[in-house]
Amino acid sequence: MVDALEEIHRLLRPAGTLIEIHPAVDPPPFVEVRSNRERFFSEDDPVFDYEDDLRHADAAVEAVLDRGMFVLDDRRRFELRTYAASVKELRDHWAFVGAYDPEEPEETLQRRRDEMYARAREVLERSRGGELVYVEPATMSRLTPSGLLER
Amino acid sequence: MTIRTDPEGNETEALFGMVELDGAEILEIGCGDGRLTWRYADRAARVTAIEPFGDSIARAEERLRQTNFPVDFRHVNFEDFAGASDADVFDVALLSWSLC
Repeated sequence: MVDALEEIHRLLRPAGTLIEIHPAVDPPPFVEVRSNRERFFSEDDPVFDYEDDLRHADAAVEAVLDRGMFVLDDRRRFELRTYAASVKELRDHWAFVGAYDPEEPEETLQRRRDEMYARAREVLERSRGGELVYVEPATMSRLTPSGLLER
Repeated sequence: MTIRTDPEGNETEALFGMVELDGAEILEIGCGDGRLTWRYADRAARVTAIEPFGDSIARAEERLRQTNFPVDFRHVNFEDFAGASDADVFDVALLSWSLC
């Protein structure tokens, strides 16, 4: 990851900007059922098994900052929300866009996810005009080349 | 109902608040299916959007086919792209959910 950031530094003009966006480690992604701004259901996604990858991404950014390659100008948190009318629609969407790791999650986690979605489905079916929402907390960082390194 | 991703514009609000994209030469690394690309590309002078997965880049091209946005989609991984690229060519590099 650090190598990739070094290459980006080379490709950027001296006054350029790197915007780095990745999911937050804490809190993990979660699923909600909402209707008219009211929340009826909220549970973490049990298949949040890429925490180590995210920590490595954080560490890579910190490494290039420590080395003086980039300067951190700004960092913001936001939530990326994906809305669906049903559990099937949401899961079909993830399958279509290949959002999940191509490797199948371990059986226990997959079963816990299935159970979580079953609970969400029950709540969704009881709610009037409810929507299923997959929420991914994320971090966006603005980094600029420091000019301290030889280009 | 169809799937809606970030209808509130949380991601683009953060992006536009952080960096000036108007007239910029932008490199988007790991553009996926173009989910974010189409939301900002109209502001740029040019976007080079790279993605190693063929299915994703095909969907991205399909998504932006009806626009005049200045996007050059390339089915290539970052290492190969960088190895073949000159230095000091982009104003903005966008690593969207692709560093991890």
